[in-house]
Amino acid sequence: MAPLVPSQEELQRRRIIGINAETVTNIPSTDFPGHWPGESHGWAVDEFQKVEFHRNDQFEASFSLIGLDASVANAFRRILMAEIPTIAIEDVFIHNNTSVIQDEVLAQRLGLIPLKGSVEGINWMQWFKKATEEGGEEDGPCDFNTIVLHLDMECYKNEHAAKDEQDPRKLYTNAHVYAKDLMFTPVGRQEQYFVGDGAIAPVNPDILIAKMRPGQAIQMELHCQKGIGADHAKFSPVATASYRLLPDIKIERPIIGDDAKKFAKCFPKGVIGLEPVTSAEAAQRGSGYEGHSGEQKAVVKDAFSDTVSRECLRHDEFKDKVKLGRVRDHFIFNVESTGQFDSDVLFLEAVKVLKLKCNRWKRGLTDLMA
Amino acid sequence: MSRETYQVPSMGTQNTFDAQGGGYASAMAIDSPSVVYLCGECSARVPLKRGDQIRCKDCGHRVLYKERTKRMVQFQAR
Repeated sequence: MAPLVPSQEELQRRRIIGINAETVTNIPSTDFPGHWPGESHGWAVDEFQKVEFHRNDQFEASFSLIGLDASVANAFRRILMAEIPTIAIEDVFIHNNTSVIQDEVLAQRLGLIPLKGSVEGINWMQWFKKATEEGGEEDGPCDFNTIVLHLDMECYKNEHAAKDEQDPRKLYTNAHVYAKDLMFTPVGRQEQYFVGDGAIAPVNPDILIAKMRPGQAIQMELHCQKGIGADHAKFSPVATASYRLLPDIKIERPIIGDDAKKFAKCFPKGVIGLEPVTSAEAAQRGSGYEGHSGEQKAVVKDAFSDTVSRECLRHDEFKDKVKLGRVRDHFIFNVESTGQFDSDVLFLEAVKVLKLKCNRWKRGLTDLMA
Repeated sequence: MSRETYQVPSMGTQNTFDAQGGGYASAMAIDSPSVVYLCGECSARVPLKRGDQIRCKDCGHRVLYKERTKRMVQFQAR
């Protein structure tokens, strides 16, 4: 028996999550095999409709994934945050630190500084194998698992400063230690990978690391290693990676005149537009526009930028006239990179990681069968 | 080693050394290595030898601090 195919309206109805003043309805997805009698709902790649970019800057991207389940979209989000490897400072060897900031606090601060460098080089880098409790041996730092940075700063008085100078940055040299003072020393094959623009450096050179006064000094060696966000947040390649569902606004009965203006004010700018009622609409019986020709009516212009604040549901005049919702399988991602990778590359990396996981799972299954 | 022959280190050996050196204790103080301290008032570097008065040479302040260790300290950046 051929599977039943539900009508487009029915499918559309199932795609919308209802958002009411106090409740959210129709939450769980039902498009999986076995839920609707006689319907197939097996997921295939061609069900996945498209990826659509809204903005794609170097370090911030926003795009829609349409036609997939929340489980897959959420997997991408979680992989983006926790499982894409990056480089961060891991070991701090402090030779001298007479600044007021304590060693352990300084070390922690340094770890959180996002570093950039040639992507090719970062991908070439391998994991630093740490000694385990089961007796696994440590690798020891090598050119393929450790990047060495140096921070060597001493603060002293600036002889040329004006007598009545108040700004410590002018009064003393090196009063502020910034991320740009981290010096990269390439070792071995790193000299081929991290050259020129590809050199390891902080993404934001003006991160304040410490403040010093004359006579104080900081000397340390920093070892950067590869890691994932699940281990420590400093390894996370994204500042934010989140998604929201596409908002859906349906005006079920006409909203005209001053009500329309008030209605538009319930939403962010540009979401609701005002259009004059045409004479054709006014002539149509039972449309609700009779006799209102030329007046302003509210129309949905741009549901995408709505925040779904539900403000319009608080007013009695819009009761039963508007229906708010969200599209269940339209995920609007927002990915902000910390700077090690471009934001659009990050999503591709996430897909790669998920693919790898699936393959491992598949291998596990075949081993189970054998 | 029996209990009687045991000598308490540092202080004890110092005393025997003093006894051997006789009246040259002050000359030895000049040879002894100087340790740098930091003044608690003007944070000047004050090198002191054994027997020196504990006092800053610049401002006369009597509180001196030890310098930070020269040893490397390792931390994990987490």
